[in-house]
Amino acid sequence: MEELIEYLPFLIPIVIIEMALAITALVHVLRHPNYRVGNKLMWILIVLFIQIVGPVVYFVFGRGEE
Amino acid sequence: MDILSVEHLSKNFGANKIIEDLTFSVQEHSIFGFIGQNGAGKTTTMKMVLGLLKPTSGNITVCGEHVTYGETKTNKYIGYLPDIPEFYGYMKPYEYLKLCGEITGLSSEKIKSKSEELLTLVDLDKANKKIGGFSRGMKQRLGIAQALLNEPKLLICDEPTSALDPIGRKEILDILYQVKGKTTVVFSTHILSDVERICDHIALLHGGKIALSGTLSDVKSKHKQDGLLIEFASQTDTRAFLDAPQLVPYITNVEQNNTRLILHTQDVQKLEVAVIAIISERHLLPIKFEVLEPTLESLFMEVVK
Amino acid sequence: MKAYIAFTKKEFCENLRTYKLFIMLCVFLLLGLMNPITAKITPQLLKSLMPEGMNITIMEPTALDSWAQFFKNVPQMGLSVLVIVFSGIMANEFSRGTLINMLTKGLSRKVVILSKFTMTTIIWTLSYALCFAATYAYTIYFWSSEGVSNILLSVFSLWLFGILLLAIILLGGVLFKNNYGVLLFTGGFVVALMLLNLSSTIQKYNPITLASSNMALLTNNMFVSDFTMPIVICVITIIASIGSAIMIFNKKQI
Repeated sequence: MEELIEYLPFLIPIVIIEMALAITALVHVLRHPNYRVGNKLMWILIVLFIQIVGPVVYFVFGRGEE
Repeated sequence: MDILSVEHLSKNFGANKIIEDLTFSVQEHSIFGFIGQNGAGKTTTMKMVLGLLKPTSGNITVCGEHVTYGETKTNKYIGYLPDIPEFYGYMKPYEYLKLCGEITGLSSEKIKSKSEELLTLVDLDKANKKIGGFSRGMKQRLGIAQALLNEPKLLICDEPTSALDPIGRKEILDILYQVKGKTTVVFSTHILSDVERICDHIALLHGGKIALSGTLSDVKSKHKQDGLLIEFASQTDTRAFLDAPQLVPYITNVEQNNTRLILHTQDVQKLEVAVIAIISERHLLPIKFEVLEPTLESLFMEVVK
Repeated sequence: MKAYIAFTKKEFCENLRTYKLFIMLCVFLLLGLMNPITAKITPQLLKSLMPEGMNITIMEPTALDSWAQFFKNVPQMGLSVLVIVFSGIMANEFSRGTLINMLTKGLSRKVVILSKFTMTTIIWTLSYALCFAATYAYTIYFWSSEGVSNILLSVFSLWLFGILLLAIILLGGVLFKNNYGVLLFTGGFVVALMLLNLSSTIQKYNPITLASSNMALLTNNMFVSDFTMPIVICVITIIASIGSAIMIFNKKQI
């Protein structure tokens, strides 16, 4: 495990970007409650718990008209 | 001069004949009402004028230039407002007009001044938000602004009022009336009261052909209606009136609804004289007496029947 | 030309405001960072998961492992995201009728296709460059670049294959009215290339080589000459796809 901690500086940017994706998507889900498919709760869960793919799928398929 | 002329135009979708041998023309500076039922082929005709659909046969000219399908040369003379105009929802009105202007090749100063002028005309100059949040009426108004951006000689509106509430409709009609001096307007509709409000020329499309056309007043006077309406206060008066033998030579048909009578005739003036003679002779006092004006609706019904 | 610039600007604005640019940059940067880290950490993870006393020699990772991750993740994950993000590029315009206004304003249909191709290519190039830069920086930081040959050609090949997919997406876009059709079309295209690869004669010309044999090129198991024909065929296919997309779109009634 010590070696893992050694790589922490390199892991942090990854975590930050993942968070950025998830949070941008989450904010959009909450502020635009019209979706092409699905409902708010479903998208919140998808966006927060499916890394990378969740936000991508939301922006491409879930995002409704503004 | 004819801004738009359509000659012997036909369009089939498979075996389905939508437009059959359609011929009409639109003069400069008129508001031309293109009337027809849903599915009569109004949108199809307009899309052919715009070169978006390929005619099966026939000829269309806009400002003297021939329209070819798939090419957009003649579209520089035309401003088009689709029935439900769709915009890029992520843009703001000014940005959208800028895009439209750049595509048409206007200079950037021209785009700026024109956008401001038109957005003021359609009352969207203060709506500086994304188009995605616009109401239907606002979109329709923005649609007119984008259609007028390149100062078209011909403005084509496809059912601009059909999807709107009364206030939205009035706004659109007022705007169309205002631009009358600057451009020629062709607009399709099935709402006859809109036509009577602003159009000076009309064409009625039925069964793929023009069933009626001309200036609004011409069409109305040609189809002078043959009716007199007379209403009495009581049933006895009504009966006494109908008993009069003098009426018989003039009347072709009588519609009766309680004490209200509609008398159809070949010659309204002679019938009027006879009716007045009868009521004065028999001391019958009508509570209503009127010569029926032909309405667009009755013409429409007559043609569609 | 003015219309082309205007419509390309509109495409940029669309990709920016519908978060497509953001997604592409994030995903590819993420992939770029993960490649070397995964290569570095995997052996240690394996070691720590191994039961006590068990003795397996685990090779120290090298720069090649990092690039192996790059040429595995970008074709699989990256290209999938690319196709998914841009699958609706034509369909969204058709289904909402937004193009009608543009076309009746005199915008030529050729310009629509070329603008979309330009903008998607730019976004793909940016994202891919970001991904490459991240992997490259970490890789030279962790390891020496010994034993890695032809890295530029390898990277270029995969980039070109991405452009081929963009051309296919546009062709699918004018053929089908919805983005699922485009996804199936593009997926079908890739599967077809894979099946064609079973024949050894076609293999030599198959553009899929550009996305699947990059490691062989790095380790000198394949040579630059092996990539010449696939690159030529790939470029021809790109031009043909865009050409036919324009031709079909010109004939299409909308």
